[in-house]
Amino acid sequence: MEYDLKAIHLEIKAIEERVIRLKEMGSGVETIERNANAILSFIYILKKNISDIIEIAD
Amino acid sequence: MDRTGQYWNPFIETLPREKLIKIELKLFRVLLQWAKENSPFYRRKLHGIDPQDIRSLEDIAKVPMTEKEELRMAQEGKEPFPYGELLAVPLEHLSEFHQTSGTTGKPVYIPDTYESWQWLVEVWCYILYAAGFRRSDRVFIPFGYNVYISFWQGHYAAEKMGCEVVPGGALDTKGRLLKMKEVKATALMNTPTYGLHMVEVAKEIGLDTKRDLNIKKIICAGEPMPEPTRLRLEEEWGADVYNHIGGTEPGGWAGMCSEKKGMHVIEPYFLLEMVDLETMSKPVPSGVRGVAVITSLCRRCVPLIRFNLKDIMMVLDDPCPCGRTSIRVDQVEGRVDDLRKIRGIFFSPNIVEEVVRGGFPEVVEFETILTREGVMPVLTLRLELDPSIGENQGKWIQDRLQEQLKIKTNLTFKIERVKPGGLPRYTLKSSRFKDLTK
Repeated sequence: MEYDLKAIHLEIKAIEERVIRLKEMGSGVETIERNANAILSFIYILKKNISDIIEIAD
Repeated sequence: MDRTGQYWNPFIETLPREKLIKIELKLFRVLLQWAKENSPFYRRKLHGIDPQDIRSLEDIAKVPMTEKEELRMAQEGKEPFPYGELLAVPLEHLSEFHQTSGTTGKPVYIPDTYESWQWLVEVWCYILYAAGFRRSDRVFIPFGYNVYISFWQGHYAAEKMGCEVVPGGALDTKGRLLKMKEVKATALMNTPTYGLHMVEVAKEIGLDTKRDLNIKKIICAGEPMPEPTRLRLEEEWGADVYNHIGGTEPGGWAGMCSEKKGMHVIEPYFLLEMVDLETMSKPVPSGVRGVAVITSLCRRCVPLIRFNLKDIMMVLDDPCPCGRTSIRVDQVEGRVDDLRKIRGIFFSPNIVEEVVRGGFPEVVEFETILTREGVMPVLTLRLELDPSIGENQGKWIQDRLQEQLKIKTNLTFKIERVKPGGLPRYTLKSSRFKDLTK
């Protein structure tokens, strides 16, 4: 199976931006902030797993 | 051939080496910058070093190594308690506490944020997947869940991978064996020593670990596992046994694949260097025994840069048939701290385990003691044999062991037989070498 790593990388970036926005929108609400932080931790992992490969190619 | 399902991350694990190194260098520069800005300990230590000057693997030697004693000093009496100057994030961001065992001195306290903990768990997913763990596995963890990191990472990684995790914490060994049988567990995580101890207890209660249990794979951690010990565990359990290397400070950083020929370093997330045994500063090439120095490239809350592990091992860089492009290390041959010069010969206590586990299944437990008679150092091997072994057979085993140890180490051992149950059993780190000359 072929994978489009660049498209996956862009999707990760887009999700990160949306989660940061979500966190700002829910600022002060524990359930939003903590869950958004948890998602950002997994985004960090995805960036290390995928985005770093794309970024060194650029 | 599509080998995607063989890897946790097929893109990273099969990346050409030059690209792996490029990522490692980039991550190294980023980590240096982060550490200088956020860790009081590294701000001082890295003074005068510009991360942008690190352009090649050779440049990394410009950065000073980190010794365990420095970590202790950076914590002792320093704020914020108890992590002191190692901490590179605000205290309120932390979510995990672990500490080293304190075998070589005062314990070091190592925390994690949610992010850095998830990162460590992810690294263990690479390790477990390479060892054949899959979502269909029911993983039993016979580990006393506590302040030591041991199998915590493995627990959460197995859960993340979709395995079913059975925590065997509060049970005794007999209870654990019976629970494994009851739930038909397919996989295990334990120290090599405890894997053998479980076999011993199983025999006492009439269980055959190979026939009566359903364990198909075991991942070991917590202490060096010489190849004869791994093979003996495979034989006793009728399972595939995999080795892994890690520690509280760096977390898990290498693991065995199905080829079982050394352990793959989890690149590009860890940068491994090997330095010479004598000065612990000059790089040694692949195939030459040296001391391992590790940088954990993605854990930001407590940066660890060029950490001297003091583990003796060797890099294997021949291609692995599994297709992973990361370098591998062979088994840990011992620790620099345990290395002794006896009658002009370097002696590592791990050799004793290799000999004992390699050809003497009648030995249930053992320990090596170093003493002095006058000025002469004396090595004594204390042996606990299977209770069914009679006097004559016991004597024969002692003589053969003495002979084999002499061949392997060029040193003469005194052999002492200890009554059954006379030597300590270990569930975590074993301590089978005692230097009483100090």
